Amino acid sequence: MKKILFLLIVCSLLISSKSYGQQDSYISVQYAVSFGTGDLSDYISKTSWRGALMEYRGAVRSNVLVGFDVGWNVFYERKDYDTYTIETQSLSGVQYRYQNEVPLLASIDYLISSGNALKPYIGFGLGTIYSERATDMNLYRWREKSWQFALKGEVGLLYEMNYSTNVKFAAKYYNAFKTETLDTQGYFSLSLGMAWDL
Amino acid sequence: MKTKILLFLGMIVALGACYPGGADYYSDIDVTYTNYEEDFDFASLNTYSIPDSIVKVEGDLAEGEDPEFVKEPYNTQMLTRIRSNMDALGWTRVENPEEADLVLFPAAWTNTTIYYWYDYWCWYYPYYCGWGWGYPSVSSYTTGTLVMTLIADGEDYIDPTRVWTGAINGLLSGSYNSTRVNNAIDQAFTQSPYLKTN
Repeated sequence: MKKILFLLIVCSLLISSKSYGQQDSYISVQYAVSFGTGDLSDYISKTSWRGALMEYRGAVRSNVLVGFDVGWNVFYERKDYDTYTIETQSLSGVQYRYQNEVPLLASIDYLISSGNALKPYIGFGLGTIYSERATDMNLYRWREKSWQFALKGEVGLLYEMNYSTNVKFAAKYYNAFKTETLDTQGYFSLSLGMAWDL
Repeated sequence: MKTKILLFLGMIVALGACYPGGADYYSDIDVTYTNYEEDFDFASLNTYSIPDSIVKVEGDLAEGEDPEFVKEPYNTQMLTRIRSNMDALGWTRVENPEEADLVLFPAAWTNTTIYYWYDYWCWYYPYYCGWGWGYPSVSSYTTGTLVMTLIADGEDYIDPTRVWTGAINGLLSGSYNSTRVNNAIDQAFTQSPYLKTN
């Protein structure tokens, strides 16, 4: 009798306790803060606080997820009154600089540890980034735009809140390669959002 | 699934709503442009002449007609500012242009740009028509320009030669703002240190 009672208690504990298994497929929506590097940082030095990202990940193995990313990051800076000189010509005024980065990437994530609530992972992405740069001065706008081949490296954490909802935090680096129109554009991005299992 | 996509689209709409704006003040649109003849030796000269009126370029002057001039007190204010800048650079003003090393010709004009949308879709999509409501939708803006040209003439020249050009341009606010005009004229000479004479 005591043994049966003991087994019943153990079973009830097992049923009521949370168990963490493999990561299911999910859709994630995140807010992103980004920092330019290289040419992008030379053009706009300020942090971008305007960024959104949507990801889909499908589980192909217990700890490998593949999917795609769609995002939009807006970099902006008002350059104070200054003089710009080319050879014998000089132009003085206030500049408003904008750069839009729209990554469209196929991605693969490897979960380092999938048996706990907290799942660190590393990821890699490949695809294209649409870059649009605009400089406003006086009533004129100079615009450059380009589709650039891009790579992404990522490390992050998935925290499982319940059986279908995760909090996702990630640090990424995007590198969009040089084209005829624009030099290589690179930026770091920190994103935080939710991921819902499918 | 629909909820997540709607959430992402909602973030994109929010991003669009807080997309950084441009100029908030008329003075942020003001620009000053200068260009000069690189081989010209300004330092070896020291006299200049300037008319006592600024011609207003209307674009429809018929042969034989008298040109219009900038009205007072704006004419005197601008000429006084130009003269004080030339004096500060070491130039001596003479009345007779034939006796001067260089002659400074100022000219001014305004330009009005009108936008109009006559498509009936403006009733439904004001963004398509520059956010104007109704049909048709009309908006306009007027800019003012002052051009200062230094001309060299005399025995050494076959034709009068332009050796320096300074131009200031800005959005008209409806009332004459002497501070904006004076600052722009000063900037034209500040970014032209090569004009300094002995």
